Amino acid sequence: GSCDLLCSQNYPLYIRSVPTENELKFHYTVHTSLDVVDEKISAMGKALVDQRELYLGLLYPTEDYKVYGYVTNSKVKFVMVVDSSNTALRDNEIRSMFRKLHNSYTDIMCNPFYNPGDRIHSRAFDTMVNSMMMQVC
Amino acid sequence: MSVPDYMQCAEDHQTLLVVVQPVGIVPEESFFRIYKRISAVSQVNVRDSQRVLYIRYRHHYPPENNEWGDFQTHRKVVGLITITECSSAKEWPQTFEKFHLQKEMYGSTLYDSRLFVFGLQGEIAEQPRTDVAFYPSYDECETVEKRIEDFIESLFIVLESKRLDRATDKSGDKIPLLCVPFEKKDFVGLDTDSRHYKKRCQGRMRKHVGDLCLQAGMLQDSLVHYHMAVELLRSVNDFLWLGAALEGLCSASVIYHYPGGTGGKVGSRRAQGGSLSAEAGNRHRPGKDAISILFCALTSNGINADTSAEIGRAKNCLSPEDIIEKYKEAISYYGKYKNAGVIELEACVKAVRVLAMQKRSMEASEFLQNAVYINLRQLSEEEKIQRYSILSELYERIGFHRKSAFFKRIAAMQCAAPSIPEPGWRACYKLLLETLPGYSLSLDPQDFSKGTHRGWAAVQMRLLHELVYASRRMGNPALCVRHLSFLLQTMLDFLSDQEKKDVTQSLESYTAKCPGTMEVITLPDGLKLPPVPFTKLPIVKSVKLLNLPTSLRPHKMKSLLGQNVSTKSPFIYSPIIAHSRGEERNKKIDFQWVQADVCEVQLMVYNPMPFELRVENMGLLTTGVEFESLPAALSLPAESGLYPVTLVGVPQTTGHITVNGYHTSVFGVFSDCLLDNLPGVKTNGCTVEVIPALPRLQISTSLPRSAHTLQPSSGDEISTNVSVQLYNGETQQLIIKLENIGTEPLEKLEVTAKTVNTKEKLYGDFLTWNLEDTLCQFPLKPGKIATFIVNIKVKLDFSCQENLLQDLSDDGISVSGLPLSSPFRQVVKPRVETKPLNPQESSKVGDFSHVKTLEAILNFKYSGGPGHAEGYYRNLALGLHVEVEPSVFFTRISTLPATSTRQCHLLLDVFNSTEHELTISARNNEDLILHAGECQRMAIQVDKFNFESFPESPTDGAQLANAKQLEEERQQARGLEINSKLDIWEASVEGVLNQLVLEHLQLAPLQWGEEANLLKDVCDANPVAGVGTDLMESSVAAACAGQAKSWDRTLISFDAALLLSIAKLS
Repeated sequence: GSCDLLCSQNYPLYIRSVPTENELKFHYTVHTSLDVVDEKISAMGKALVDQRELYLGLLYPTEDYKVYGYVTNSKVKFVMVVDSSNTALRDNEIRSMFRKLHNSYTDIMCNPFYNPGDRIHSRAFDTMVNSMMMQVC
Repeated sequence: MSVPDYMQCAEDHQTLLVVVQPVGIVPEESFFRIYKRISAVSQVNVRDSQRVLYIRYRHHYPPENNEWGDFQTHRKVVGLITITECSSAKEWPQTFEKFHLQKEMYGSTLYDSRLFVFGLQGEIAEQPRTDVAFYPSYDECETVEKRIEDFIESLFIVLESKRLDRATDKSGDKIPLLCVPFEKKDFVGLDTDSRHYKKRCQGRMRKHVGDLCLQAGMLQDSLVHYHMAVELLRSVNDFLWLGAALEGLCSASVIYHYPGGTGGKVGSRRAQGGSLSAEAGNRHRPGKDAISILFCALTSNGINADTSAEIGRAKNCLSPEDIIEKYKEAISYYGKYKNAGVIELEACVKAVRVLAMQKRSMEASEFLQNAVYINLRQLSEEEKIQRYSILSELYERIGFHRKSAFFKRIAAMQCAAPSIPEPGWRACYKLLLETLPGYSLSLDPQDFSKGTHRGWAAVQMRLLHELVYASRRMGNPALCVRHLSFLLQTMLDFLSDQEKKDVTQSLESYTAKCPGTMEVITLPDGLKLPPVPFTKLPIVKSVKLLNLPTSLRPHKMKSLLGQNVSTKSPFIYSPIIAHSRGEERNKKIDFQWVQADVCEVQLMVYNPMPFELRVENMGLLTTGVEFESLPAALSLPAESGLYPVTLVGVPQTTGHITVNGYHTSVFGVFSDCLLDNLPGVKTNGCTVEVIPALPRLQISTSLPRSAHTLQPSSGDEISTNVSVQLYNGETQQLIIKLENIGTEPLEKLEVTAKTVNTKEKLYGDFLTWNLEDTLCQFPLKPGKIATFIVNIKVKLDFSCQENLLQDLSDDGISVSGLPLSSPFRQVVKPRVETKPLNPQESSKVGDFSHVKTLEAILNFKYSGGPGHAEGYYRNLALGLHVEVEPSVFFTRISTLPATSTRQCHLLLDVFNSTEHELTISARNNEDLILHAGECQRMAIQVDKFNFESFPESPTDGAQLANAKQLEEERQQARGLEINSKLDIWEASVEGVLNQLVLEHLQLAPLQWGEEANLLKDVCDANPVAGVGTDLMESSVAAACAGQAKSWDRTLISFDAALLLSIAKLS
């Protein structure tokens, strides 16, 4: 699985993938999934910003992976790529994982030493993501 | 059916397929010229009806696709146009034979065919034939279009007859079963009489008629037929044909809703009617359905055989949403058949095009996703490329640029797949270039100069690597170097240490063959690749223009300076300062550079690489002035800290020079780095004035150079320091060689001296010279040497110390009345020894051996050449450091009346503070030998001072001061005379002594003079004759016999002059 965090300008803030040897593939997957994220966001329209659902759901399924998306109100995108064979993961689990990620991201943003838009180098965030991935894989 | 046509779109269903092919030898160029003209005739308004016929031309069509013609009639080749060249009548039968052979290839489906013969003239050509047209040449064939229109009309007639034939073929109970090639064997032995079978036949035929109607321009009829076909086929679960019927329905609806076409071929399609296109523009919007229904009813007045004009026929037309639903359904049916993969794929493509029109990207992407997974038979590499390319294009169309780039990249990789015997690196490269926007990557390094790079570095780097590889395999090393430089420059922050090493290694190996340049590379397709300057190898942190060294700095002459204060503003002061954005960079520097002199710019550089960085040919880029840059090579250690680098150059002309940047050669890539493009470079300004050339003066002296530097408080910066050690009273000549080492003649020279840092009281002129002797050698040509002589005279205080003199003055009273009480020979112990006895005193006085220092600066202001004309000069300063060692001291002075009343004896206690034996010579006296540290009294007979000789008789202190002045003048005159007479180095010193004595012995003013010559050879010691008409004076010459080993001076003389004022005893 892979977990990525992208900023509103659509460049990565944080990428973590397991296993690491095929990282580039995840990069490509996440990169292309952004098309769908963009499309979904623009489809939602501006009127619904307030009450809109942050969870974008399944972005698209590939042969091997399922790609899920989540977008914050400040247009920070979370993309999660999980193995297709992993059927234990339901929509609800994915949703709660995204919420956890979002909370951690909010913590990072609260750090006065973090410049929004910079790559994330946070031990707390790392451990959170690690534990989440351990749980999934 | 194996070859998909990825370019298909829904409206192709209404076209008639015509194949245009050459026969025999037809030049490709000529063929395509004719082909182009033929294919321009793509729509024909059929005579006597409002219907429009659309023609699709192909110059190549696989016959196996033709076999699916019954399934979807637009796949059927109905017309064949053959183009041939025939020069003589003899060849004609052969040519005609070939035409027939060609016809047979598509024979089963052809409605009609034409042969265009070029080049044949004469009898045969004059026969009027319908199926053959003769043209004398490719240029003389004006009637081609007309011929084609006629041909299409004939096709229409056949089509129309077929349509009517099939459509009315209701009564006949035997409806043939239409089938696709792979079905044929399935139906062998089936009960042809069953209801099921009949229904199947009916359904398929309905569908077929729908196709024909659509082709014949009868949209509404086709819709009705398709609906009926759908009903029939659904009931018998004939899925493949049900799918086709649904797709037909979709196609007809799409044609109806989007008269502009979905294929993206703008303007290629004419609207079916003027009024229609205006209406149709709004048609597909929901809510306008009422109008569309009405409109359908109005326009569908074409010939309809069995479908009577029902009211509300337009209901048959699918709504835009339904089109997609039906497409989905059709595709799902196609999906059930492996052999219909191409049909399914094409349906997907068509649906995507429609969705793109509807701006429903998400659904379109689902269709595309499905298309990706349609497995056709083993595709050839070329087909794979085509497939990926079209996927990319479709993704682009729905706005999925990243996905588009992804597939384009795969297509590019496919072009150069290892399985291909001749990889198409060129095509691969071209496709890769097209992916750049999708990965938000531009090949202009300027776009990366703004702060930190933010993007998909890993993916972008991969793409750049692939570009590098493709361009290398293409055999374009310059391109390869450009891409690799770009990769290194822009992705430096993301490269690991190992990658940095690898990239630079490969870059070096490429540049060995083709060095990287600063030229824009223009690709054949017009794309321009801007040069990639290595602004990060090394990283430059600051640029500082350096002033010339002090000795070479030009100065403006004072008189001209006033004029030079520019009158830019009429106001002397204005609070309004013109602020400009580029002020930082453009600010002028307050020093000047000189033409033809080496000028320096200091850069602080940093090597970000994990290995040693060799920068070659690093030089300055300038504008404004012709500048000869002298490049430097440097080697920066791995991840060095800030490292200063000085770049030098010589301005060749005058004016204002601006340093714009620097050029380097790193890893074989030449870079011109402009400061404007470098973020965060600190400068002190980049523009400096270059003034005309000035001569350069180098001085060398007879004295040793000194490490001793003058105190900075002196204000001047000294280029050379010399030092000399002299005894008090000694004179030495300093010979200075002035060499013009520049290229301009040295025309002017001014010498000034400044004594600095003197706590000591100095008597007489410390430094004297005669400039005329030197100036007569001027102007000094380049390379020539002139000499300049400076006399150094050290005349410091010869008195011992004040308190001793105080003692003496006490004695002085007794002196006048009492015989000399002090012994003639008296050894005075050095003060050092008396220190413990009289510490208070010693602290005030200091010891005799104390070395005093004199410092002076000789300033040589010189000018010449064009710089002189402009009013500039240079200043060269020579620091002179003189250490004055004490020689003799006069410890006591007193007088004794002599035999003559006009004369008296002057008694002097002379103390030798040196370590050498001295001989003191005085006029009319025998030489006195003084051992080191010895003190002796000597008496000199002097003439009494004639007080009345003064112009104004002194009665008060002011007059005394006058007298003193006069005496000093005399003393000077005397010194000069002595100098010229004896030609010895002289150091004149007037002691404080005379004043003190003057003060004490006010009543007895007396001038006393002593000259002491310290000579190695005592015999040479001439007593110096003191000349004074109205003064009583005497000279004492002291000669020193050099006994010490270190005594290497051959001739040292000193002249100690003491002034005493002796009052007349009256």
